[in-house]
Amino acid sequence: MTNRLVAGILCAGWMAAAVPLYAQDAARKDLVLRGDAQCTRCHDAEDNPAVLAIGKTRHGTTADGRTPSCVNCHGASETHINKPADAKERPGPERTFSKKSTTPVAARNQACLTCHQGGNRIHWQSSTHASRDLACSSCHQIHTAHDKARNKQTQTEVCFQCHKEQRAQVNRPSHHPVMEGKMSCSSCHNVHGDNPKQLVRASVNETCFSCHTEKRGPFVHNHQPVQEDCSICHNPHGTTAANLLKSRPPFLCQQCHSHTSHPSQASGLPTGRTTSNSLSGSVARGCLNCHTNIHGSNSTQNSATVGRFRR
Amino acid sequence: MHNLGNTAFRLTTICASVMAACGLAMAQEDAAENPAVPESSVSIGLGNWSQDRRQQGIFDGMRDSGVYGLFDLDIAKRNAATGTWLTLSGRNLGLDTRELRAEWLRQGNIGAFIEYGRTPRDNPYTFNTGLQGIGSNTLVVSGAGANALPFSQIELGTRRDLTHVGFYKNLVPGLDFRLSFKNEEKDGTRQWGRGGSTEFAVEPIDSTTRHLEAKLEFSGERLQLSGGYYGNWYNNNIAPGYVDTRVNGGNQAFTGAGVTRYALSLPLDNEAHQVFLNGGYNFTHTTRGTFKLQYTQATQNEHLPTQDIPGLSLAGSPQSLNGEINTTLVQLGLTARPTSQLSVLANLRYHDMRDKTPQARFVKTTSTGHVCDSTVVNNIVCVDNTPLSFKTTDIKLEGTYRLPLGYSAVAGADFRRQDRTVPMGAASTLPNGADDQRYVPFRAKVEEDTYRMQLRRAMSETVNGAIAFLHSRRDGSAYNRTNEAESDEINPIHISDRQRNKWRLSLDWTPVEPLSIQFNVEDARDRYTVSAARPYGLRDGSAVLYSVDASYAINDNWQINAWYARDKTQATQFGQRATNGGAAAAEKDARLEDTGDSFGIGTQGRVGGKTRIGADFQWIRNTNRYPESLTLAGAGSTFPVSAGQTVIGPLPDIENKLTRLKFFATYAAQKNAELRFDFIHERWTTNDWSWLFADGTPYTYTGGTAPNFFDGTTVTQSPKQTSNFLGIRYIYRFQ
Repeated sequence: MTNRLVAGILCAGWMAAAVPLYAQDAARKDLVLRGDAQCTRCHDAEDNPAVLAIGKTRHGTTADGRTPSCVNCHGASETHINKPADAKERPGPERTFSKKSTTPVAARNQACLTCHQGGNRIHWQSSTHASRDLACSSCHQIHTAHDKARNKQTQTEVCFQCHKEQRAQVNRPSHHPVMEGKMSCSSCHNVHGDNPKQLVRASVNETCFSCHTEKRGPFVHNHQPVQEDCSICHNPHGTTAANLLKSRPPFLCQQCHSHTSHPSQASGLPTGRTTSNSLSGSVARGCLNCHTNIHGSNSTQNSATVGRFRR
Repeated sequence: MHNLGNTAFRLTTICASVMAACGLAMAQEDAAENPAVPESSVSIGLGNWSQDRRQQGIFDGMRDSGVYGLFDLDIAKRNAATGTWLTLSGRNLGLDTRELRAEWLRQGNIGAFIEYGRTPRDNPYTFNTGLQGIGSNTLVVSGAGANALPFSQIELGTRRDLTHVGFYKNLVPGLDFRLSFKNEEKDGTRQWGRGGSTEFAVEPIDSTTRHLEAKLEFSGERLQLSGGYYGNWYNNNIAPGYVDTRVNGGNQAFTGAGVTRYALSLPLDNEAHQVFLNGGYNFTHTTRGTFKLQYTQATQNEHLPTQDIPGLSLAGSPQSLNGEINTTLVQLGLTARPTSQLSVLANLRYHDMRDKTPQARFVKTTSTGHVCDSTVVNNIVCVDNTPLSFKTTDIKLEGTYRLPLGYSAVAGADFRRQDRTVPMGAASTLPNGADDQRYVPFRAKVEEDTYRMQLRRAMSETVNGAIAFLHSRRDGSAYNRTNEAESDEINPIHISDRQRNKWRLSLDWTPVEPLSIQFNVEDARDRYTVSAARPYGLRDGSAVLYSVDASYAINDNWQINAWYARDKTQATQFGQRATNGGAAAAEKDARLEDTGDSFGIGTQGRVGGKTRIGADFQWIRNTNRYPESLTLAGAGSTFPVSAGQTVIGPLPDIENKLTRLKFFATYAAQKNAELRFDFIHERWTTNDWSWLFADGTPYTYTGGTAPNFFDGTTVTQSPKQTSNFLGIRYIYRFQ
């Protein structure tokens, strides 16, 4: 009898303790996501409040039926939720996303692509970033309302973690207003796509013409490299020469032009006031002092020099 | 110029309205922070720059010394029951760089937004000029002697005002409709030239650019599609499409002898229309196919305004260019993971930019005694418009094999074939086979093959990294001949034979938990093939980058980070210098260098429970060198001489240095409010000689003939710009 009583008490105690956490979870309210109770029973505000910040984001908008629960991204993680009796330490979730995660990148990204494969990410798998094994979480922070990668003012902090050359270039005297927060890397680049140089549009020029539409032409007098690729002459990330030019005139122009007369002049600064174009190719705007409509001209002036972008 | 005095009323108005809007939210502050409720904040304050920042303030709206209003807001309200967001965000609302965005979104169903932003661009130089009519379509240049006009200091710059509205609607599960419309007004002035000689002019800018995109996006488990329309319009609001420039007291006609009146053409209205369809399909869990289809028609068919100037244009030449460029893009891609270790990628891309603009003759001068279509070489007397078409096919193949211990090996190859054939009518080809419409040799075909390898390690807790090597080779068909023998002696940089080798090493090292160090080394070498018949242009180039970044968490409250980077590009450029102005013919050998050194260190942490402080130091130096040696090949001077002036070369080095020291401190005055103090010391120095004569005196724009020069505009740049900023903000957070 005593034994039975003891057994009964033990059994009741076990039932009380082990009843199943699922039952308790059923009674427990979700904190921020649908069905998060089984996770937030441990990962609550005292454990790690930053995790719950997902509730402030689009992912945490539970009225939108498409939004996930914890397990949609991290996997069902049965052994993490219910530690096996023979396990010394509680196994981790099925999918983790930290820098030290051992979850294969493809599996991590699949958790995101299940919902986010459309739109600008249709070509993610053939992008340079994908083939370099970048995880979505390498750049994006999910459990925060302010993902640095999606904020124009902070995005460079993310991109410059790898792109050191561009970090150096944006601080050159001539640059796009990236560090000033008026543009971001993603103004020109679709980092989820597979266009050349991962640009937002199909070509360099198509991308540049989005803002510099006046240079699209076509012009009566086209300047061939302008029509082909702006980056032949310009480095959009930053340069020392004015107007994002890769090199200073006359050197830049003389990478293609080898005419007789003044276009072939050697570099040097004039000693004083002059109207000689043979003395003026280095100072001020260099060759552009006279060839001022260098991106193209619509002049119909009946002059042999009009095709040289001076009018 | 853009200081608080100009914005006080606007600030006050916005503050009042925002505070009114926030009133309800503030009333709810008694409750503890709810992790399921979005946060909002309002920040308001004042800042003062002690001196002008003409270089560093080009874009940030705080170029001039003075007091500025600092006002930002970020308000996000969400109805949890309906999933409806109402957000209002504003940044730099007290500055010329202000941005404001409002959005209403019933998440997953329907939404709309409107945003506005201004981007200033202030020219960092000061111009002292007599030019009249700046900003208009009529410019009068200060004349010589008694015809000189009064001089004054002017500033140039542009403002872009962008308004963007968007609409989103989920039509059925997985199918969304998105509409985006942007309208950008660009106004201001831009430094220009008159084109006759080194004469100062200012381009008036008043244009409107519009973008419209409407697309349907479908996203299913296997199939994703995105298709729609994108249109883009440019309208130049400066009539009549050119700028009439003349010299005070000069010849007032556009044509005839001794002309000093020019019509400078402006960009004309143009537009582009695009239809597109992108798609992807998951054949299996590990195999995916993608495609892109895109067709764009860009046109420029405005009336050519300089045709309306009597006697200026070739009689009978077209009144409109009727420009039309049609671009087709077709791309097919396949990615697969046939085994858990191996993934492969194949991509075929066809991009055809076809210039359908009709060819016509716009210039036919006979002043030199020649007529068009003659056998005369080296004297262009006829000018046609020059349509340019490019047809490019790219093939990309890549495979990644995953090895044990987190290693992966990647191998890839890219093959590019480009058809650059230019349409040349019989009239454009001289009897000797030369192309009389181009000044630079041209290739009908260019090919480039690139091979890549990479070994990388990921998913290690202590050391991750990659080493990559790239080799490419570019060549092409024979060059077209230009109409000038000397022009044919160059290898144009973008189509010349080139061999490129590039290494890249990156390493992330975490020796102990709180310390992480990142190393990067990049080394790229280009070698251009030259020949005895074509010896000029770039010979070789290199780009080298070293960088190290480190961060260290001293304890839970303090962390420190630092970085150093050095980048250096070099180019060896050969050329010929023709006899000119008494200078002997010569061979030029330029060794150009561009070096950047940058260093930064920063720390931030907590002092007590309410105070957070931090400091950042940044030092950047850019050095450019332009050594060029001349080997004279005959009698004559080293440099040309004109009216008693010559040039002194080679060019001096240029060094720009930026030092910026920033401190901040925040004090939590309340649980949900803090005060923030900022101090910035900024110093920029340069010895840029761009606007100087050889003796260091200011460069002077000059037209006419000595001693009766006209214009006389000078440009000055402050070589040392130091300024200090002190700012205080009150930041209030609420839910």
